[in-house]
Amino acid sequence: MLLFRSEETVNAWCAAHNVPRRPLINLEQLWQLAVHWYANRLTVESRRPGPDEMVSIFASLGLTGPFWDPKSDQWK
Amino acid sequence: MPGADLDTTVKLAIYEITAETGRVPNSQAVSRKIDIDEERVLGAFARLHAKRLLLPEPGDPTRIRMAPPFSGVPTKFPVEANGVVYYANCVWDAFGIAAALHCDVISRSSDGQTGEPLTLEIKNDAPVLKPYVAHFAVPAAHWWDDLVFT
Repeated sequence: MLLFRSEETVNAWCAAHNVPRRPLINLEQLWQLAVHWYANRLTVESRRPGPDEMVSIFASLGLTGPFWDPKSDQWK
Repeated sequence: MPGADLDTTVKLAIYEITAETGRVPNSQAVSRKIDIDEERVLGAFARLHAKRLLLPEPGDPTRIRMAPPFSGVPTKFPVEANGVVYYANCVWDAFGIAAALHCDVISRSSDGQTGEPLTLEIKNDAPVLKPYVAHFAVPAAHWWDDLVFT
């Protein structure tokens, strides 16, 4: 995923690469995702969140729907 | 690490070397660090890949392309922390390096479309807020189909 100054430059990038516009998240949401994924990554207990846990983390940040569901088949 | 299984020992060695040097080690460097035969280290690399904890370099299982949030190759997301320069796989992972190392970081990145320099910072466990946005081009169900593109 890429970083953009604004929604306008996202739209320009999508048009230039013929990629559909997909969800945007702000820096606070991005930080919370980073903490959930990586805060214990350098420890013995570290592991990647499972599918249901991922859905729960995304929902806690307001990211809902099939796009954020790792088990969704809507996007196959 | 006494008592840890091989995969955990290898995983921790990968991250310890990366955190210390900013460079993701290959199987030989991990083998040297933990004094375990390189073939066994390669077996652990494959199992960690199956658990989606690392991505080997395509065509060369001795090298690691991604040990998330760290990248084994230079990217557009360099991250400076504690006097070391790391590379993140994406903008999420740029913040992920701060979360993993539990320290302030600065990432001198750029706009994905215009190339305009954009600086990201984590200070005191929080992002310095700016109106920037991250765009997810690939849905969650397909992130591991092509992790490099995601």
